[in-house]
Amino acid sequence: MYNSSTLHFLKAGLWTTVQDQGRIGHQASGVPVSGAMDQGAAQLANWLVGNDKNNPVIEITLLGPSIQINQAVQIAITGANLSPKVDNVPIPMYETVAIEKGAILKFGRIQNGCRAYLAVGGQWFIQKWLASASAATTSTAKLTPDSLIKKDSLLTIQATPFIEKRSTPAPPDYESAIVVKVLSGPEFSHFSSQTIAHFFSQTYTIANDSNRMGYRLLGKELSFDSKQEVISSGIVLGTIQISNAGQPILLMRDAQTTGGYPRIAVVLPEELDRLAQLKPGEKIRFCFVG
Amino acid sequence: MTIQPYGAAAILINFEQKIQKEINAQVIELNKAILAAQLSGITYTIPTYCSLTIGYDRSAFSYETLCLLIENIKAAAFAKETNSSIPLEDKRLTIPVCYDEAFGLDIAAMAQEKDCTVEEIIQLHTSTEYRVYMLGFLPGFAYMGRLPEALACPRRQSPRVRIPAKSVGLAGYQTGIYPSDAPGGWQIIGQTPVPTFMPNQEDAFLFQAGDQVQFQAISKKDFLIISKDIHSNQFNWSSLYV
Repeated sequence: MYNSSTLHFLKAGLWTTVQDQGRIGHQASGVPVSGAMDQGAAQLANWLVGNDKNNPVIEITLLGPSIQINQAVQIAITGANLSPKVDNVPIPMYETVAIEKGAILKFGRIQNGCRAYLAVGGQWFIQKWLASASAATTSTAKLTPDSLIKKDSLLTIQATPFIEKRSTPAPPDYESAIVVKVLSGPEFSHFSSQTIAHFFSQTYTIANDSNRMGYRLLGKELSFDSKQEVISSGIVLGTIQISNAGQPILLMRDAQTTGGYPRIAVVLPEELDRLAQLKPGEKIRFCFVG
Repeated sequence: MTIQPYGAAAILINFEQKIQKEINAQVIELNKAILAAQLSGITYTIPTYCSLTIGYDRSAFSYETLCLLIENIKAAAFAKETNSSIPLEDKRLTIPVCYDEAFGLDIAAMAQEKDCTVEEIIQLHTSTEYRVYMLGFLPGFAYMGRLPEALACPRRQSPRVRIPAKSVGLAGYQTGIYPSDAPGGWQIIGQTPVPTFMPNQEDAFLFQAGDQVQFQAISKKDFLIISKDIHSNQFNWSSLYV
């Protein structure tokens, strides 16, 4: 039995949460999917420490936490490069790293990407809701009290026997301007061909208030007849809806399950991980594939 | 009914685009039939007013295969009954609501706006049976309709940062109950002592699309009694189903 918590967060960082594959299948009750924004990076981090791919990981956004690690564990960090250091010595990403009891993991300057994933090898003792440890978007303190990291948050992990060190080549640096493949959305035909051409020809900037619910995209507003009402309908991950002000909103993992704005396009599922690594201020263009 | 792809891993089935209970009953009937078929490649469904979104695993079947499956399920489900015999409702619930101004933050202003009394608003709200058309916005938030014409109202100009759980609100032609504390722009007219979202229970959500709901006005004293009963596990939940 462990009576000391494995991870003690001395600083929380900007927006640090526990995430896993999310809660699929409860959208009919209004429950958002949630889960790691960059699923590929999260699963890879788990593989690097010998965990099941859907084990919880810590999702770290732009500004990392400081964590005191009170037990010898193996960790791995993937995704955004936030200059991770253990006891002030830089550590590599994309490989298994053994940590000594009492060490302090910190993050520094953001080099590229937006979200880093920290996996810790072992069994996580964490309260789940609907079979997922991902931070709930409402009543977080009640539903998933351990998953929204604050100063002095504690997480208990029972380390499993160490595995032989694993590593993968780090992916190329994330680009700050990307082209994303999309399919036409359900209300595509509500828009004039001129508006559609406008949507696909411009480069959008990710707004500062973008988050896990959605990315607001800044660009020249699209003109369309907003009086053609859309009755609230289901939302799938990666839907792009156009607000009444003519601005696109790209809906991400914590988005509501239903919405009433016209849906012009839906991004391909394989584009979501790259989107998760875009920061506010970075650029996006859409490419129509069907 | 039309079926179209919705991104690469979901389909959207649109029914006639109207907010009408007969149309919503078809959405729910088809959703039930699809869930009953237990196709392992279907990962989620989202029934709404007049559409049904179905998420699927692309390694399980193609879009074309899924469309065929859905057509077959639909034919089987709707063959058994003529359109008029599709059951309109699942459960009937009576929900106690205290409309006291301590809870009904907007009820006095609304009465003034509508040039009527608070009692008339309560009378109108409690004399209509509402259908739960869909859940959305928050876990367990049931969109119910349709409000009598005289109660229809816009959302608040500036949404509140925090509306307490169990608050009963109005927006447009809809009424609903906040399942948890949340920001929101609905006009708040009262509060029920009955939690509609119980995350620690097997059956976490009181409402499902298709339910029929009537509100019943209660006093502040009864509100406190029911709250106490709920906290001490003495509450008779079957009293809601009358």
